[in-house]
Amino acid sequence: METLGSLVVVLALCLSVFSVAGSITGGWKRNQFLIHSAERAVYSIWFLLTVASAALVVSLLTGDFRLAYVVAHSNRAMPPLYKFAAWWGGQEGSLLLWSWLLACYSAVVVFTNRRRHRSMMPYVTATLMVTQCFFLLLNTFVASPFQVLAVGRTVQTLADGQGLNPLLQYPAMAIHPPMLYLGYVGFAVPFAFAIGSLITRQPGDDWIHTTRRWTLVTWLFQSCGIILGAAWAYAVLGWGGYWAWDAVENASFLPWLTATAFLHSVMMQERKGMMKVWNMVLVSATFLLCIFGTFLTRSGVVSSVHAFAQSSIGLWFVGFLAILIAGTLYLILGRLDYLRSETRLESIVSRESSFLFNNLILVASCFAILWGTLFPVLSEAVTGEKITVGAPFFNRINIPIGLFLLFLTGVGPLFAWRRTSLESLRRNFQWPLAGALALAGALLAAGVRHFYALVSFGLCGFVAWTIFVEFYRGARAIRAKGGGNLLAAAVELAHRNTRRYGGYIVHLGIVLMFVGFAGSAFNKDATAEVRIGDRFTLGSYQLVVANISSGENENYTWSRALIQASKGASYVGTLEPERRLYKASDQGTSEVAIRRRLNEDLYLNFAGYSGDSQRAVIQAFVFPLVSWIWIGFWVLIAGTLVCLAPSKVRLEYPRTQVVGVKKTYAPVEK
Amino acid sequence: MRRLKSSVLVIVLAALCAAQGMNPLTNERVRRLGDQLQCLCGCGSSITSCNMLQCHFAGPARVKLLEMVNAGLSDQAILDAFVKAYGPRILLKPPAEGFNLLGWVMPFIGILVGLALVWYVIRRFRRPAALAAGPEMDAATLARYQERIEKDLEKLDS
Repeated sequence: METLGSLVVVLALCLSVFSVAGSITGGWKRNQFLIHSAERAVYSIWFLLTVASAALVVSLLTGDFRLAYVVAHSNRAMPPLYKFAAWWGGQEGSLLLWSWLLACYSAVVVFTNRRRHRSMMPYVTATLMVTQCFFLLLNTFVASPFQVLAVGRTVQTLADGQGLNPLLQYPAMAIHPPMLYLGYVGFAVPFAFAIGSLITRQPGDDWIHTTRRWTLVTWLFQSCGIILGAAWAYAVLGWGGYWAWDAVENASFLPWLTATAFLHSVMMQERKGMMKVWNMVLVSATFLLCIFGTFLTRSGVVSSVHAFAQSSIGLWFVGFLAILIAGTLYLILGRLDYLRSETRLESIVSRESSFLFNNLILVASCFAILWGTLFPVLSEAVTGEKITVGAPFFNRINIPIGLFLLFLTGVGPLFAWRRTSLESLRRNFQWPLAGALALAGALLAAGVRHFYALVSFGLCGFVAWTIFVEFYRGARAIRAKGGGNLLAAAVELAHRNTRRYGGYIVHLGIVLMFVGFAGSAFNKDATAEVRIGDRFTLGSYQLVVANISSGENENYTWSRALIQASKGASYVGTLEPERRLYKASDQGTSEVAIRRRLNEDLYLNFAGYSGDSQRAVIQAFVFPLVSWIWIGFWVLIAGTLVCLAPSKVRLEYPRTQVVGVKKTYAPVEK
Repeated sequence: MRRLKSSVLVIVLAALCAAQGMNPLTNERVRRLGDQLQCLCGCGSSITSCNMLQCHFAGPARVKLLEMVNAGLSDQAILDAFVKAYGPRILLKPPAEGFNLLGWVMPFIGILVGLALVWYVIRRFRRPAALAAGPEMDAATLARYQERIEKDLEKLDS
């Protein structure tokens, strides 16, 4: 199995080199045979890497403990799902997953564009294959998953493996990394299209539609990956948080921010032919940040919970990154004339400039996070002292930025393209603004004194209102023409312009998430050492320890508490937080018990035993509104899917171009 | 003499805690202070939130925190003691002084630079394209034309 796996990876590497050379030469000499041959190489690479991945998965599932990778990341007692998930549980396997996903994307790109974008496709293929080539180099020479354990010349078989990191043995965790990789890898596609269009100086913006769709799909995966990670942290780590500003979390968030910026500013290019250079920069930055994020995860440059074992692999990434940056810069700078803006800005108070601010804030936030992530490295280099830049830093910097972004979410869509009159501003803003102030005032009166929370809730009300008004006005207009009820009219409205109204739905999802984030200002917690029969309180909850039991199965030993919760006089349910100790790795994990409600979650964690082992330590938390984050996430997915659905009315974006008057004039009417 | 008194108090209280087997996390101040200190076991989380079973770092650190809290030390004194023992990296939030000040102000400098850029872009985009001299036409005709252009654009953009 390992021979087969290694062989196909090497073959794929050779093919990727051929594909790069073939498509560049083919594109240059306009040789259709070479171009087609290079594209078929892409399909073959996909097939070969599928075989390689299957080989690894079979080895994991059957427990082939001759392989170093299988020993390090799997053991006999693990359920099959997690044996499968061990594919991406470690450095070597996850790099193979990277390669395989990139091969999947490349194959799909080549297939769907077999009749479109023919002039730029060779360069798109070449860009994708350069990336593929890089990862295959790593798969072959640096981090091969098919290494066998050997002493001298004899292959060794171990009796059992060390098992997958127990923290990863959780269903959401089994899909969180592939989702994130789908995002990371997918951003290679828009990048490839950008490079292709730059090299061939694509006229028109057919290619930008394609790029936008790919970005949207990838953005969706990335969002899913990030939120799944948050949901996993919330449900598994036992401290009740969903975001810790860990270096690797930040790394996944950075390309998301720039991709979000791109999805907005691309509208400027489609409609007005503006900001072309900037869009190129954003697409490239997104992909470069993906590679950079992979580098952070794997090099051990910054300390992180997510980091893989440290290795020399970091240097490879630095080299690749340097090549990419140099190449992209060269192409963009060499083609500034082709990227020149076609129209001018008419007014500062317009949709166009609101996009500028949106981009500014997204990129500034990206920069702040990147800065905070790398600052410890920088500071150590300068002062020689190790420092930590942790969650308090990021929260302080990013909460105001995030709130301003939320504000723009509401304001931006209310500005008209080109320019907005004061009258329309007043008409659009007065009610939402009054509503927001009323909401904040009501909360203040109700005793909410937390400044950011007040601002956040107020803005959430404001943005939700503006979105609602947009739907309501459009739907009313449709109903006035076609009859029917308002809801059907709203669906019809969204169907006519899926991009616009899908975008609003995504905004609504973001608003709901902010409601959830703001709820964290009111978290409560208590820790108690308890015996059976003890009771303790947290806020309005009374908690009674009904039982504490323990036991074991072949994978882990466990202790479990049975806790009855009641609120006031009414009984609300029994929760069973559990503590596990995995045998293979001798690591402990918490299986927290959560009572999820829309207003607040009751969250119990079995933290361990007291010093004298007589009492159980139970941590209890109340997290207000946290469920809205996950609800907002579903709304975001729904909105993105609406965006991706084709519009009923095909949208043309006529350019409102200002052309200098030349020497011949049309006759003037008298 | 006062120091002796307080150290006696610390010992007595520590003994008391040990006797009770009190988990330090039951103390609210310990949790709050522990959230500002990084657990150095490699987990990357705070001393309060480190989730390792019997973490070799967070466990003793919490006990020490509780001792200090019970001894009546101020928050700042406790944090200072930890910085003295483990270096500044134990603070989750770098102190805003010296070189580290740069860490705090740089994001805002970034925003300012970005604002300047946006301002520049807006100004550049707003500069009207150089127009060649157009045909002569009277004000009324021009106004009519402009109105029509406005109307058409309105339609296009909505």
